[in-house]
Amino acid sequence: MGLLSIEQLTKSFGPVRAVEAVSFKVQAGEIYGLLGPNGAGKTTTISMIAGLLKPDGGDVMIAGNSIRSHAQQAKAIMGVVPQELAIYPELSGRENLEFWGRMAGLSAADARVRTRELLEALTLTDRAKDAVSTYSGGMKRRINLGCALLHRPQLLLLDEPTVGIDPQARQNILDFIRGLRAKGTAILYTTHYLEEAESLCQRIGIIDHGQLLAEGTLAELQERLGGDRVFVLEADFSGARPETWGAFQQHFRTIKLTERQLVVAAVGTREPAACLQELLALPMRVENITLKRPSLNDVFLQLTGKDLRE
Amino acid sequence: MIGTLLAKDLRRAGRNPLPWLVYLIIPLCITAMLGLTFGNRSEKNLLGQVRFALVDEDQSRLTQLLSRALGHGFTNESLTVVSLDRAAAEREIRASHLGGAVVIPPHFTRDYFLSNQPVSLELIKNPAQSIHPAVLEEAGGMVVAVLNALDRNFQADFTEWRTLIAAPVEAAQAARLFKETGTKLKTFGQYLDPPLVSYDRSQAPASTAKSGPAFNLFAYLLAGMAGMFLLFEAVNGMSDLQQELRLRTFARYQTLHAQTLPFLAGKMVFTVVLLVLCAAIMLGGGALVFHIHWQQPLVLAGLVLSYAGFGAALMAVLVALMPDERQGNVLSTIAAMGLGLAGGCAFPAEQLPVFFREHITCHLPSYWFVNTVRQLQAGGGDGLWQLVILKLLLITGVLTVLASVLFRRRFQLGGQG
Repeated sequence: MGLLSIEQLTKSFGPVRAVEAVSFKVQAGEIYGLLGPNGAGKTTTISMIAGLLKPDGGDVMIAGNSIRSHAQQAKAIMGVVPQELAIYPELSGRENLEFWGRMAGLSAADARVRTRELLEALTLTDRAKDAVSTYSGGMKRRINLGCALLHRPQLLLLDEPTVGIDPQARQNILDFIRGLRAKGTAILYTTHYLEEAESLCQRIGIIDHGQLLAEGTLAELQERLGGDRVFVLEADFSGARPETWGAFQQHFRTIKLTERQLVVAAVGTREPAACLQELLALPMRVENITLKRPSLNDVFLQLTGKDLRE
Repeated sequence: MIGTLLAKDLRRAGRNPLPWLVYLIIPLCITAMLGLTFGNRSEKNLLGQVRFALVDEDQSRLTQLLSRALGHGFTNESLTVVSLDRAAAEREIRASHLGGAVVIPPHFTRDYFLSNQPVSLELIKNPAQSIHPAVLEEAGGMVVAVLNALDRNFQADFTEWRTLIAAPVEAAQAARLFKETGTKLKTFGQYLDPPLVSYDRSQAPASTAKSGPAFNLFAYLLAGMAGMFLLFEAVNGMSDLQQELRLRTFARYQTLHAQTLPFLAGKMVFTVVLLVLCAAIMLGGGALVFHIHWQQPLVLAGLVLSYAGFGAALMAVLVALMPDERQGNVLSTIAAMGLGLAGGCAFPAEQLPVFFREHITCHLPSYWFVNTVRQLQAGGGDGLWQLVILKLLLITGVLTVLASVLFRRRFQLGGQG
C-alpha cells in the first residue's frame, strides 16, 4: 500500500465531471507526476487529496488515514504547495515561513530553527528579512514551496510549482524536489510541462478530461506506442487515407495525422531501416522523415489525439 | 494558534495602516465639523458667546441713551452687544463676526408711547450661523413680550413719558413721574411676588445619586459616529478575510487543519482588537479634543467590545455569503451604512419615520449600542447596558457559527476564492 492511495476519486461541478474515477498510488521516496493539459482535472484531484474539496465519490488514504474520516491525522503528515502563491506579500520570507511553521503545529523555537534551515536550503538567507512583495518570481515560488515543508511532511503535493518562472529558477526548484525525494518524501507532482515530468518523475499518470488515461514509468508509457521508435513524416497528406495503403496499418500505429504531418510508431521490433524503406514507398512524395525516441507528448497524442502543447 | 494568527494580522495591518487610519480620522473630523458648527467648545459655556449689534435708526432720546450706555459695547460671559449703524452691522454679519443685529426703526419710541399703531423691531440674522441667531430671536421675543406687557399696564403714563423723552422737562415733573411709576411697579410686584401659582423643582431619585452630567453635543455626536464608523472598520477588518481567500492563504490553512473556525475566529479577534483600538482613539481622543467626560468608562468599554464582536461576526457572514471580493465589499459597506443610519448613528433616532422607529430601529444592534451610550452619557442607562451587552454577545456567537458553517459549505462546493 502506498503512502498516498487514491481510489475511484470522482468530482463534478454541476453537469461537468471534473474528475472521474481516478485511482493511483504514490510510494514513499517516489515522485509521481500527474501530467495533463490545463483543465484536465489535476488541481481538482490535488484539492480533493488536500481536503479542500469534498469528493463526490471514492476516497483518499494518506498513510492509512482517510481524508474523509480522519482528516486531521491525514493532514498532519501532508504538505501542500498550491499553484498560486499562497503567501503574505507584506511579510518577510522569514515571517512567512515561521508563521506557517506555527500553523503546522511547531513551537515558536522549532519554527525558528526550521525556518533558518529552509532559508538556507532554498538559498534565501540573504533576503530573509525583506518583504516577499519585493522578491523575484522564482524567489516567491521557493518561499511558497518552503511554507509547505516546515513540519517535514511525509507526503508533498506540488501543484505546478514552477509555473511562470525562468529556466534557472525552475532548475533550482526541481533540484530541491529531487533532494526531498532522496530523503524519502513521497511527492505528487502535477505539471503540464513534458520535460519536467520526463526528467523528474519515477512514474507518470496522464490525465485528460478528468480521466486517468494511462500510468506507469516513462519506459512503460513509451512501450504503449509499440516500440521505442517514432517516425515523423512531412508531406502533403490532404485527403490521405492510410487504410488504403496496403499493409501500412499492420506495420505502423498512427499517432497523429494532419495535412502536413504523419506521426507513426512501428509495431513490433522491426529494423528502423526496413521501416524507413516501407514509409518512403508510401503513395506520396515524402519531403522529410525524422526518426526519434517516443516522448510523453507522443504518448499523450496517441491517448488523446491531441498535442499536450496545444 | 489565535495568538499567532493575531500577531500575523497585526503585523500585516501595521505595514499597511492607511485603510484603518482613514476610517479613524473621518469620524473625528465629522464630529469636529458638526460640533463646531453648532457651538463653541468651551466646557463652561457650551452655547458660546452670543454677539450681536444694536442699530439705532430711531435716534430718540431713549434709544440714544441706550446707544451711549453701550458705548464701545457691552460684554459678559454669554453676551456681547455693540452699537453700530446698519451698514457696519451688515458688514460684520457678512464677515460672520456677529450672530445678528437688532434694528430699532425710525419713530419706534414715538409710536410705541403713542400706542396709535403697531410697532416692530427688525431682526437681521446671520444665515451662516444656526444657534446664535436662534437665541437672539428668542431673546427678541422676550423683549417684545415685556414691551407689550408694559404697554397694556402703563398706557395711562405713556403720554407723560413720551413728553419726558421728547423734550427736556422740569426736574420736579420728572421726579414725580418716576415716583408714580415706581409706586405702580411696586404694587404690581405684589401680584408677582409671591406668585399666585408656583412650582417646585424636584429631581428623579436616580439622578440625585450622581453629579448630573451636562449635555455635551460632541459626546452625543461622537457616540453616533463611533457606532457607524466602527462598522466601517469591521468591513475593513473582515475584507482582509476576502484577501486571504484571494491569496489562497485560507486554503493553505485548510490543508493543515480540518476546521475552519479557528482561522475565522483569529480574523474576528484581529478585527475586534483593531475596533477596540479605534474606539479607544475615537472616543478617548474625542474626550481630549472635545472635553468630553465619558460616564461609566468601564461599561462603555464593555459595550464597545461586544459591539465590535457583533460588527466582526456580521461582516464575516457577509464575506462568507459573497464569493466575489468587490461585490462583498460593496454589500458590507452598504450594510454598515444602513445599520448606522437606521440605527440613529448619524442623527437622532427620534427623527426617523415612525415606521422605522417602531419596527426597525429598535431591533438594530447599532441602535442598542448608540442609544445606550447616549443614555449613559445623559446619566441614565442603568439596567439597560447589561441587557444590551448580553444581546450583542449572543448575536455575535450566532453569527460566528453561521459564518463558519457558510464558509465550510462554500469550500466544500469548490468556492475557495
